[in-house]
Amino acid sequence: MSAALAVLAREARLAFAGGGGPAGPAAFFLAALTLAPLAIGPAGATLAAAGPGVIAFAALLAVLQGAERLFGEDVADGSLELYALSPLPLPVIALMKTLGAAFAALWPLPVIGFFGGAAYGLSVSAALTLAAALALALPGLALIAGFAGALAAGARRAGLVIALIAAPLQIPLLVFAAAAGRAAFDGDERALANLILCAAASLFALALAPFGIAAALRARME
Amino acid sequence: MISGYANPERFDRIARAAIPVCGALAVLLLGIGIYLSLFASPPDYQQGETVRIMYVHVPSAWLGLGLYLGMGAASFVYFVWRHAVADVAAAAIAPIGAVFAALCLATGALWGQPTWGTWWVWDARLTSMLIQLLLYLGYMGLRAALEDEGQAARAGAILAMAGLINLPIVKFSVDWWASLHQPASVFRLDGPTIHASQLAPLLVMALGLSFLAAWLVFYRMRSAMIARRAFALRRAREARA
Repeated sequence: MSAALAVLAREARLAFAGGGGPAGPAAFFLAALTLAPLAIGPAGATLAAAGPGVIAFAALLAVLQGAERLFGEDVADGSLELYALSPLPLPVIALMKTLGAAFAALWPLPVIGFFGGAAYGLSVSAALTLAAALALALPGLALIAGFAGALAAGARRAGLVIALIAAPLQIPLLVFAAAAGRAAFDGDERALANLILCAAASLFALALAPFGIAAALRARME
Repeated sequence: MISGYANPERFDRIARAAIPVCGALAVLLLGIGIYLSLFASPPDYQQGETVRIMYVHVPSAWLGLGLYLGMGAASFVYFVWRHAVADVAAAAIAPIGAVFAALCLATGALWGQPTWGTWWVWDARLTSMLIQLLLYLGYMGLRAALEDEGQAARAGAILAMAGLINLPIVKFSVDWWASLHQPASVFRLDGPTIHASQLAPLLVMALGLSFLAAWLVFYRMRSAMIARRAFALRRAREARA
């Protein structure tokens, strides 16, 4: 257990040491949310209707930002082999690494999502629902991004490949997170149902992605 | 049973027999199917002549999905038993499946314009097929990005299996999210709701296109195996020199 926590803590410290911790994804997310209205137009009704979708989509892109680094550096500098020698099962290491990086770097996204939702013209309760949906979707998004990152670790143009293979797998989370925000904006009781589906999709990723990541890492060590 | 086909030489014998058979059947069935669908079947009472697009569109959709299932199954066999032929099969199927998925989308757009009045709608079935195409592209992109042949094969197999597990959830979430396309009308428990005069050309076209796909897959597999062998021989000769 303490070994697993050490992996988690190492990954969280690495996020701060190498990449400024949550600053990178947060700044990216903020920039995306600032640019989207400039593209959509300032009309209030359009912005509020598009808001949940734009915010959920921008969060998905922000999560993909860190995916290349997460396992790519371990493959490049050989720490992956050391992890494989550890008595800790590789799926546990994969889970701890992914969640450690996600907790350290992605926690501001629901907060920014809340303020972004309010700025796009959602009511406070709708913006809160959207923020909750983002918080529920983030572990799943991060695990799927980690899976794509492990598959493409060390590849040429890995970032491009990661986006291409992670995007289709992340579709359910995107659909449910954005739908929760949209339903809350419409004052619809389906918001809760979509929140629960968001959590279910995240749990599904939590159950399977560590084994997928471990298999991908083992394939890389042959 | 599977191990029997994992022997490259035995595969080569089978492929050498299968390629001309599949090719001849594909040409024959597509010839009959094109005649039936263009000349020998009646225009639809609502859709008129545009219904003939269906005879390409619907089999492409079946093959786009079916070939993905085949790719996933081959990837599973490769992942578990490490049969090289299974990996060659998965790699050979991907571009063929992607072409059928793209053909389904293109013919669907051509059919949608006269019947629905729009080239594209964000409807569940259309979007699912587009996602299917993206899954193929992701698989091909990952394989192309990894330089080491063995690593590309292992990573590709894992991705194809993950896509297979995720496909029902994506389908479900997309169904939830939208839904102009008619529901399934051939594969139903209470029998097809499509008229027999249209069902016959549809099935002949589906069979013809399936043999075309099988022909191309076997051809690509055999070429890939020969290329691998040539590469190994060249490496061996260089090592001697």
